[in-house]
Amino acid sequence: MALFQIAEPGEGRAKEACGAAAVGIDLGTTNSLAAVVRPDPASGAGKPRALPVDEGSTLLPSVVAYTGGEAPVVGRAARRLAPDAPSDTIASVKRFMGRTSADPETRRLSPYRFAEGESGTVRFEVRGRTVTPVEVSAEILRALKVRAEEQLGMPVRQAVITVPAYFDDAQRQATKEAGRLAGLEVLRLLNEPTAAALAYGLDKRSEGTFAVYDLGGGTFDISILKLVEGVFEVKAVGGDSALGGDDFDRALAESLLSGLSAQRTPRLVRQAIDAARAAKEALTSRDSVEVALGGKKRAVTRAQLEEVIRPLVERTGPPSRRALKDAGVPEGKGLDGVILVGGSTRVPAVRAFVRKLFGLPPLSDIDPDEVVALGAAVQADLLTAEKPQHDVLRLDVAPLSLGLETMRDVVEKLIQRNTTIPTSATQEFTTFADGQTGMDIHVLQGERELVADNRSLARFRLSGIPPLPAGLARIAVTFQVDADGILSVTAREQLTGVSQSITVKPSAGLTDEEIERMLLASIEHAEEDVQARLLIDARVEAQRILKAAEQQIENNGDLLAADERQAIDAAMQALREASAGKDHRAVQDAVQRLDQVSSEFAKRVMDRGIERALKGHSVGEFDKGELSPHAQKAYSALGGDALGTVSPKGKEH
Amino acid sequence: MPESPKACWSCGAARAPLEALCPSCGKVQPPPPPEGVVDKFATMGLSRSYDLDERALEDTFRSLSRKLHPDRFARATPRERRFSLEQTTLLNDAYRTLRDPVKRAEHLLALRGVKVAGEERGGAAAMPQEFLEQALEDREKLLEAKTEGGPEAVARLAEGVRGKRREAMEEIARALREERPTQAQLEQASQLLARLRYYARYLDEVEGREAEI
Repeated sequence: MALFQIAEPGEGRAKEACGAAAVGIDLGTTNSLAAVVRPDPASGAGKPRALPVDEGSTLLPSVVAYTGGEAPVVGRAARRLAPDAPSDTIASVKRFMGRTSADPETRRLSPYRFAEGESGTVRFEVRGRTVTPVEVSAEILRALKVRAEEQLGMPVRQAVITVPAYFDDAQRQATKEAGRLAGLEVLRLLNEPTAAALAYGLDKRSEGTFAVYDLGGGTFDISILKLVEGVFEVKAVGGDSALGGDDFDRALAESLLSGLSAQRTPRLVRQAIDAARAAKEALTSRDSVEVALGGKKRAVTRAQLEEVIRPLVERTGPPSRRALKDAGVPEGKGLDGVILVGGSTRVPAVRAFVRKLFGLPPLSDIDPDEVVALGAAVQADLLTAEKPQHDVLRLDVAPLSLGLETMRDVVEKLIQRNTTIPTSATQEFTTFADGQTGMDIHVLQGERELVADNRSLARFRLSGIPPLPAGLARIAVTFQVDADGILSVTAREQLTGVSQSITVKPSAGLTDEEIERMLLASIEHAEEDVQARLLIDARVEAQRILKAAEQQIENNGDLLAADERQAIDAAMQALREASAGKDHRAVQDAVQRLDQVSSEFAKRVMDRGIERALKGHSVGEFDKGELSPHAQKAYSALGGDALGTVSPKGKEH
Repeated sequence: MPESPKACWSCGAARAPLEALCPSCGKVQPPPPPEGVVDKFATMGLSRSYDLDERALEDTFRSLSRKLHPDRFARATPRERRFSLEQTTLLNDAYRTLRDPVKRAEHLLALRGVKVAGEERGGAAAMPQEFLEQALEDREKLLEAKTEGGPEAVARLAEGVRGKRREAMEEIARALREERPTQAQLEQASQLLARLRYYARYLDEVEGREAEI
């Protein structure tokens, strides 16, 4: 039996017909680019070059305007339409890729109207219809494809599309879907910093360990790579998939708007953001600039801008330090260079921060706007050419840990972050009730201990487990991450040979049917009350936690001083009251407060358990499941994870 | 169609089950069927040994990656792409294990049929009581140092635990270097590996503290 249950990938990859090109595409938050490697007819040597795709420029602004006409307008022309139709012109759509309508991203300062879709995907309302981020991105890709074809004089059918290294599975899937929707065969999703390193490594022919600091319009990525003999091995990645130059613009726009008394209409917000961006760009070379907004003029200095963006720039520090640590590179030494990528690294304050952070002057001799697309073109050439121009190989990693929900809402990690891909991991679970025939599998991505703090990728139910006494069935859950960083999960019952395997799709992704429908036309989608669902989830969680707390107080209340008991009682009461209300966030906050005030108690309960264990009781008598998350954490810090594996949540059928 | 572990699926030439590429036609082969513990040394074409030259291991990993990675098979048939994915997955897993001395030691024990103590349910109970008591005491001291002692006190404690870890590592290495280790030696190594986990967790906590500062 093969270990892997992955489906045979589609139809065979048709060999690209002569006279067609495979391009590298940087699908950016602010700008998108297409680049290609074409051998020089004279020398046969080929260097990647970015194609002029928008009014003579290689940068296509990632702006899509829905005008009511047949096809939307993309690029600079769309940007010009934005002031008059701020809600129908979508910019920075990448920030919404793979996100659900409950995501904080949808609550930031923006001129958009959001609708709620059936799978919780973000939807924009434009010109009387709704479009998803995948559709908007597909428009950008389609524009690049068509314009690249015009430039090259030949069809473009295949592409390598870059994504931030820190993109999660849902965001990657969404990007791939956008490519498909645009009529492109997506050869690979390539991590942006890796692409930049490919471009640099080939250009400089250098070897050693490099950091790629990539601050784009909407995402921050840090990668540590080792280049040896043409192999680009990514050692660690980190980042923040919602941090970039857009946030600089919004922060400055906020400060501009706060000086105005005018009402914040979508139009004014759009104008403020545009004015902020223009000011930010001008301030890279000047010390002061005049900004006109809402009929008022004021001067903005570079120092003022730096003051406003400082907290944002500093947020790039912790992920960078963590990546260095994960890569085993001691801080302050061991790096041979720092490569700057992304338009936001033009901001002088960012450069100064990077220099200080790594103790090295950063490299930026390849245009930071083009470098990612150039690297993607190299990769496209590597994957499609009979004789690629460069003999290199890139080895990427999984950016975030992948795991399963186990009992008590704790995540068990199967694949750790920064594991070289492709990779797989299998874990066996068993049933915990006699005759149990089904098991819920909940797949999560992230570094946190608790399910609720991680990204939910998929839920599915393994049914048809043969009814056996508890603990006899053996269910193997296998995670496979492919070379694009995309995960597939399969579960099978081993003991009886009755097997079932399921490949899952991410929760926030789109179903095949949805894609089909989008290809045909946009259809009104039934609205779903996401808020109500969140509230129900929060209430259920609150009930569960209250019950557990009550039980602990009953069994171990003697460990509490009177005032501690009072604080816990008060927090429990507050949680009961919040549960009766309608705000799911209030419930979540109350849960967190209870968790905080009871953490010391949980620790004592845990210590008592250990004490008992040391006195000769079996540790198994101590019900780990009854502990609060804090206690469980403390418990596992003590070696408690060796106390036995927990089974995934299961229900009797 | 089932692939034979003994013959190339493409040209039919005889091959060893562990060979990733056909010695005759060079086509990528399916990985061997999983049976018991996969020998990760064999996956990388190495003989079992605790002492590995890190540079040589890295070079081997790179050269095998060059041959097997899915990026090399983007134009190949679906079947070859699948084999490339499976072979690279095994290779990455083997490299991850072998380059880490602790995981390498655990794997050597696993290949000899010895499980690391504490892996199964109730494992902590199998640890000697003195060790658990010492562990609790160490942790209390760490908490104390964190709240009262300051960074120097924490660093001192960490140094102590690092020393213990070094000693344990050396002893494990000695046992694994034996030509014919006794069962008792292997059990002892397994016990020490279980302790290493505790030390690692302790040091993680210290570093968490360091990152906070």
